[in-house]
Amino acid sequence: MLARYTRILLRFWKNCLLRDLSFRTHFLVHTGGEILWIAMALVFLKVIFANTRQVAGWNEHQYLFLMGAHLLVTSLFEMLFFSNCWRISERVRTGDLDFVLLRPANAQFLLSFERVDYTTAANLLVACGLCVYSVVALGSPITVGRVLLFLLLVAAAVAILYALVFMFAVTSIWFIRQTSMEHLWFYTVSIARYPAEIYRKFAAGVFWAVFVFVLPVLIVANLPASVMVRTFDPRMVAFMIAAAAVLLALSSVVFRVALRWYRSASS
Amino acid sequence: MSSRAVRKYAVVFKVALAERLVYRGDFFVATFLRFLPIITTILLWRAIYDGAGRDNVGGLSFANMVAYYLLVMVVRAFGSMPGLSSGIARDVREGDLRKFLLQPIDYLTYLLALRAAHKLVYYVMAVGPYAIVFWLCREYLPALPGARSLGLILLTLVGTLLLGFVINCLLGLLAFWFLEVGSFLYLFMTVQYFLSGQMFPLSLLPDGIRRVVTLLPFAYETYYPTLVLLGRMPAGDIARIVLVQAVWIVILAAVVRFAWARGLRRYAAFGG
Repeated sequence: MLARYTRILLRFWKNCLLRDLSFRTHFLVHTGGEILWIAMALVFLKVIFANTRQVAGWNEHQYLFLMGAHLLVTSLFEMLFFSNCWRISERVRTGDLDFVLLRPANAQFLLSFERVDYTTAANLLVACGLCVYSVVALGSPITVGRVLLFLLLVAAAVAILYALVFMFAVTSIWFIRQTSMEHLWFYTVSIARYPAEIYRKFAAGVFWAVFVFVLPVLIVANLPASVMVRTFDPRMVAFMIAAAAVLLALSSVVFRVALRWYRSASS
Repeated sequence: MSSRAVRKYAVVFKVALAERLVYRGDFFVATFLRFLPIITTILLWRAIYDGAGRDNVGGLSFANMVAYYLLVMVVRAFGSMPGLSSGIARDVREGDLRKFLLQPIDYLTYLLALRAAHKLVYYVMAVGPYAIVFWLCREYLPALPGARSLGLILLTLVGTLLLGFVINCLLGLLAFWFLEVGSFLYLFMTVQYFLSGQMFPLSLLPDGIRRVVTLLPFAYETYYPTLVLLGRMPAGDIARIVLVQAVWIVILAAVVRFAWARGLRRYAAFGG
């Protein structure tokens, strides 16, 4: 069972690599654009810390690590899941979803993993570079356990983002047209980018509470980064892992319920 | 321009106006959503000012900073030309340009008339959502300008619109020489976001870089007009900004005309 799905997954990834490699200009431009954004964000960071020594309790190198963690999590999500989730509404509209449902494998698996966007691969390298550089610059001792915990939380973060975006995507079975996906992702990314503490006083803390505990997008970069370079809060770590598990299970339930409403697109 | 020519483009303007008014669907929601990322930016700046422990970063108080990002939205409503350069590139690439070459109409003036209509519709419809957001944020905003500075402010905004128009025309005309400009446009827009001061006020840049960046037309398209709206400029400085805008518009319009003439020659050579 597991071996079979691994084989399917590897085949998907290989197909996409061949596909991406045949559009090299797109690949280079996309990578160039991403690197430009990161360079601009680094200038912004320099500008910020020319004026203050800390932002919401994060010093320059901790903030840099947060940037790296944010890039790591969002790039992983974009690489593995964004285009897959984005295509779901298109498949519902055209009735192409039929072909996925007919295949002898888990439909959610097929829908979620069919494409890999290798153009974000360069981002992953840059993200790792930022993380390693800032950890070294901070000079605090690193243990293998810390790094493993960080990686586990990054995986949990990607799972949380996947579950939320996937659930949003399958609602297109009810609402058919869904053009707001890119906007939604853009807002999610921009909310999660900065220290979560900046939202504590906004709207009497309701915004913070909702986006930490109900739709936990505020913690996807903040918590892994915090665990690595700031404070280790075991309760929050447990919460994040539990949230990932619950949301994943929920996404499967929502998908199955939504499928009951699905009635193809053909005449 | 003769009165006949003016009438001709007035018709283009009117038709575009009518077409735009049809699609007002979720316009209100979309306009409000555009302010969402600003909330995050403002909260980040709150934390930066708290960290700095003083109410002055780059010569701006926190209230000024909030107003800056809000007013950038107003200036961008004049300077941004969504779809202009990619539209020109598409017309060049797919040969739709022929349609215009056969008619007694100037393609670029036609586009300007079209844009002016789109912009006007946008202002009429956006004034509601903007008024609500600005009213909510009134404590951060500068006092309303007097009648005399209002004239200068409007002049700067018109300058922004024309500057945005010529810059985007020039980018679109690159399609005469390059098959695929979409990716270049994407990279360009990214850099422009930074250079025009949309990411943060350019006064925060280190001196050396700032001196170079503020010479470029992008600073006159967004950054300086925003400072004018912020009410932080004496009338003499505003006049200077309007003048530099005019100089950039004339220079870039000349380049656009030159590129258009050269490009058409290439285009004609290609055509069957």
